[in-house]
Amino acid sequence: MDVCLGIDVGSVTTKFAVLDEKSDLVTSLYWRTSGKPITMIQEGLKEVEQRLPLNANILGVGTTGSARYLAGVMVGADVIKNEITAHAIGALHYVPDVQTVMEIGGQDSKIILLRNGVVVDFAMNTVCAAGTGSFLDQQAARLGMKIEEFGQQALQSETPVRIAGRCTVFAESDMIHKQQMGHRVEDILYGLCEALVRNYLNNIALGKEITPPIVFQGGVAFNQGIIRAFEETLKSQVIVTPHHEVLGAIGAALLAQEEIKTKKEKSKFKGFEVTQLDYRTSSFECKACANICEIAQIFSDGRVIARWGGRCDMWERTSQPERM
Amino acid sequence: MKVTWPHLGHSDIVLKSLFRDLGVDMVIAPPNNKHSLTLGVKHSPEFVCLPFKLTLGNMIEGLELGGDTIIMAAGSGLCRFGYYAKVQERILRDLGYEFDMVTTALFESKIVGVARLVKRLSGGAPLSKVIAAIRLGLAKLSAMDDIERAVHRVRAIEINKGIATKLFQEAINAIDYASDMSGLKKAKMDYIAQLNDVAVDTKIDPLKVGVMGEFYVVLEPFANMDVEIELGKLGVEVKRSLFVSHWTKFSLFLNAFGVTEKEKTHRAAMPYLKRDVGGDGWESVGEVVLHAHSYNGLVHLSPFTCMPEIIAQNIMPSIKADIPVLTLISDEQMGRAGMLTRLEAFVDLLHRRRSASLAGALG
Repeated sequence: MDVCLGIDVGSVTTKFAVLDEKSDLVTSLYWRTSGKPITMIQEGLKEVEQRLPLNANILGVGTTGSARYLAGVMVGADVIKNEITAHAIGALHYVPDVQTVMEIGGQDSKIILLRNGVVVDFAMNTVCAAGTGSFLDQQAARLGMKIEEFGQQALQSETPVRIAGRCTVFAESDMIHKQQMGHRVEDILYGLCEALVRNYLNNIALGKEITPPIVFQGGVAFNQGIIRAFEETLKSQVIVTPHHEVLGAIGAALLAQEEIKTKKEKSKFKGFEVTQLDYRTSSFECKACANICEIAQIFSDGRVIARWGGRCDMWERTSQPERM
Repeated sequence: MKVTWPHLGHSDIVLKSLFRDLGVDMVIAPPNNKHSLTLGVKHSPEFVCLPFKLTLGNMIEGLELGGDTIIMAAGSGLCRFGYYAKVQERILRDLGYEFDMVTTALFESKIVGVARLVKRLSGGAPLSKVIAAIRLGLAKLSAMDDIERAVHRVRAIEINKGIATKLFQEAINAIDYASDMSGLKKAKMDYIAQLNDVAVDTKIDPLKVGVMGEFYVVLEPFANMDVEIELGKLGVEVKRSLFVSHWTKFSLFLNAFGVTEKEKTHRAAMPYLKRDVGGDGWESVGEVVLHAHSYNGLVHLSPFTCMPEIIAQNIMPSIKADIPVLTLISDEQMGRAGMLTRLEAFVDLLHRRRSASLAGALG
């Protein structure tokens, strides 16, 4: 069986997706990154190897997410793509006529506009991460509930309260205040959902033409409360596709498939052996000029396999010969 | 007296040339770096824009190195920039520094005012010498801008990435070194020739992306995290209409030159914005209209909390022009990784858009 692997290492979660020749999902993982991207990539690969049939042959690998370069050099990726492109490709796979993709992840949120299957515009949060998954996580923890229960609880709301949602710190104070006034938890939760949706539409989606079909994806699309708030505000159906939480990884796998087909080269995948290697990272301040850049380096079994972080490519160049 | 000044891209070279010719002592603060940013942020109001913070950082570093006279631009435009020099002077005095602050409102005082100021700083050098020094300084500015245009073109299609950027750095040093007009001309010709000789892939038709927005963040690579170099690495040809030399000419000689580049942008912006809103907001709107058909996309740079650019950004979606615009907002909180992700995605979008429209045109 020939398969393609997509890896999406985000700030909060790490996602793996394996697609077969017909681009159907064979298996997927959705794990918390827990601040340990290297370990999670290795553990994830181990798990994927176990879940795949013995005759599985990895044709190509694509990586995406904020740690896409790290993941890319570790496993040997054929494509390293930004998460905007990966998410758009993933959404198109399930809803070919999609016009709007709304994605809310752990620490960023984006909107992607497509016309005739081509991305024509996108926006991503720039100076503020209010209203992303991490905040919902935090608030669920503060109220002593699992994040998975958040949405269901919010749906019970009958008279939502208005929460100030622009700044997450003030949103929290406002929630505490509303609790102290005696409002019910579900009304506060749904109020928060509405605030997040308002915030998203006023900031990320500012001035963008949101036309159906609208696809909502990313971890936050698990939250029923947010889905309902979006549908009520946009007065339009919001589609949450199957496997929406791993759509970035699916997109990366599809991109790898495309890359292998067009290039007709063998995959750069280093094999499942990379789970056995010892990876280490370190960083130093480059003193070559006044910029004093922080250079991060990653070692595999004691050898530098990549360096990055400089304003010039001095250190990136020195790592090239050993890279592939 | 030792003069010092805040940086703006590579325009330092001009002041260096000017004061060297006139025998004025100077202290040059290190180029913008993390330390100057940290210093600036520490002593600035939080919601003032990045240009204020960085220039304040440069001033502190200049004073620490022995400078005692700060030169800073000022103005009476609609943006906060006009009173930055005054506020920065107060902050520095509160920190206990002793110095003179010399401000020059380029736009208001024009070339005569600048010549008078330079004469004063030079301790009364003869006017002919002052004029010759200013002339060489301005010529250096033009030369650097001409070379930079060639760099933009080569960077996108060079076979070995990084050569154009390296040559640019060398060219700036050579221009800095030139002590007269003929030496400058030679240096310029030499580097233009070298850039033309860089091995390029002529089969590539690079995407053309305009870089525009607020003056300082467009021209200071540290403030925009080398957006032009990063675009070049992605195989994009950067198109920029904002050059220090244009702006200086516009500010200093406006009356003599009549219709300028700037007025053309204003006219283009008219259907959407009929007046100056401070800073470069009016120009930013105009650039979208002007370049909608000649470029594949535009990168709009703005410092966080910049009122003129916020106005421009909010007008952009209503402009009836089919060109994607990516707005990047910079301040001390912005991460390089975030910017690269957005740039990569933007370039992907432009590529896919172009191939789709080509496919559409073919049938």
